[in-house]
Amino acid sequence: MVPPSGTPLRVDRLRALNVPEPVTVELDEQRVPVVVRREAGNGRRVETAGEIWCIDDEWWRQPISRRYIEVLLEGGGRVVLYEDLITGEWWMQKP
Amino acid sequence: MDRSLSHSPTSSVAACVWIPLFALRCEEARRPELVSQPGALLAPDASRRVVWQVSPLARHAGVRPGMTVSQAIGLCPALRLCEPDPVHYDERFALLLAALARVSPVVEPAELGLAYVGMDGLEGIYGGPEGQVRAIQVWSAECGVRDETGSVDSALHTPHSALRVGWGKGKFVAWVAATRAKPGGAFIVHPGEEAEFLAAQPVAVLPLDPDAHRRLRQLGLRTLGRLAALPEEAIVSQFGRAGRRWWRLAAGATADPVVGRTLPEPISASLTFFTPVADREMLVLALERLIERALRHPRRTGWRVQAVRARAELERAASWLAAATLKDPSADRDHIAAPLKTRLAQAPPAGAVERLVVEFTAFAPGTAELQLFARDASAAARAGRRRALRSAVQEITLRLKRPMLHHVIEVQPWSRLPERRYALIDFEP
Repeated sequence: MVPPSGTPLRVDRLRALNVPEPVTVELDEQRVPVVVRREAGNGRRVETAGEIWCIDDEWWRQPISRRYIEVLLEGGGRVVLYEDLITGEWWMQKP
Repeated sequence: MDRSLSHSPTSSVAACVWIPLFALRCEEARRPELVSQPGALLAPDASRRVVWQVSPLARHAGVRPGMTVSQAIGLCPALRLCEPDPVHYDERFALLLAALARVSPVVEPAELGLAYVGMDGLEGIYGGPEGQVRAIQVWSAECGVRDETGSVDSALHTPHSALRVGWGKGKFVAWVAATRAKPGGAFIVHPGEEAEFLAAQPVAVLPLDPDAHRRLRQLGLRTLGRLAALPEEAIVSQFGRAGRRWWRLAAGATADPVVGRTLPEPISASLTFFTPVADREMLVLALERLIERALRHPRRTGWRVQAVRARAELERAASWLAAATLKDPSADRDHIAAPLKTRLAQAPPAGAVERLVVEFTAFAPGTAELQLFARDASAAARAGRRRALRSAVQEITLRLKRPMLHHVIEVQPWSRLPERRYALIDFEP
């Protein structure tokens, strides 16, 4: 992290970091992902699935309801997948 | 320096050549009386005088690396303490590397006293592993580390000869084999025997930090065989990416090849003082002038300096050495001088300097973008660093049509939603 330069902050120039990326997943019978496929690219097998947690937030405006699962992909990448429990879509982002 | 030599030669079969306590062995080689006495070397780069390498006799008396001089003398009054001579050790190691390069063109130095030799395709010259090891022992015996006076054969059989050779597939197997070899001997792990050999070895041979070593012990994993018997994913979930590497090393599932280095052609500049100089400011000034002179060398054009070292010849035949590898290769004098000045302040020469030498020993190609920064860095010296940075940013933005430099700022670091915690904003110096 670099120290701020003193430049006034303009919200329109902010770019979010770690933006979730849409993915399609294949699930096993316990609804745990076994294969993750990005929009462009081949599927990658999930080597191990780790912690699972849920977030329900912002019910007073645009409700957010997600089921997160931390997975280790084949080849060593550790990522977090979440299912949007409102739309049913799956997303991927860094832990 | 030939730019076509960017692809380094590699070899999957390795011989590990290891001389434990290399610096101490160098001292013993030039002062044989040290062999029969408890001895220790002082650390070359510590601000406090602490012990660096300890001979087995001194270790038997309780002296350990890192102890202060008074502690060490308190435990072992007969201890012979030696001032370090890093230039001498460096030269001896360079001799050893040169000797190994006569056996194989693929030589990879790892640290002082430890090097890997690529053995692929050498059967036709030296025969099987035993012949290859013998060739290494014969050539390295001549480099003077082991016995300066004896003939090659007598040097090979000097009882306190310290050179150990390990032979096997990949650097890790060769290294573990070298640790199992007796002093002056060799240990060969024949192809196909790697897994069986590794299984019996303690986990301490893995590149572990002390915390990981403690955790493995707590889990009851004392040998590589026990570690490799567990599922790979179990180790990865406990130790992450490093755990995967340990598991693969333990199981013999990975074999890192020896990567020969393209030998850099160093650029050096030296200065012999009319009278020996001890004043630090004078030495800093001399360092800067020598770096400037070396930077002006025609062979440096188009290259940035990646590794630099300064060595000094001191009064009474002592020496001083400071080496630095620059994280960001540079052609800027101040950038190159900074780590050497830090070393000069933290661990100054132990005496007055008679001759000072600056050497650039490794280089990185100077790309257009980086040369842009280099130009701006020199402008910064005249007109202010911020203004130069601003113009560099503007030029990058103009060339690439979009800003490519950003600050990371906190937005909602406490948020449960990862994408809300941090954001990028255009960098404006």
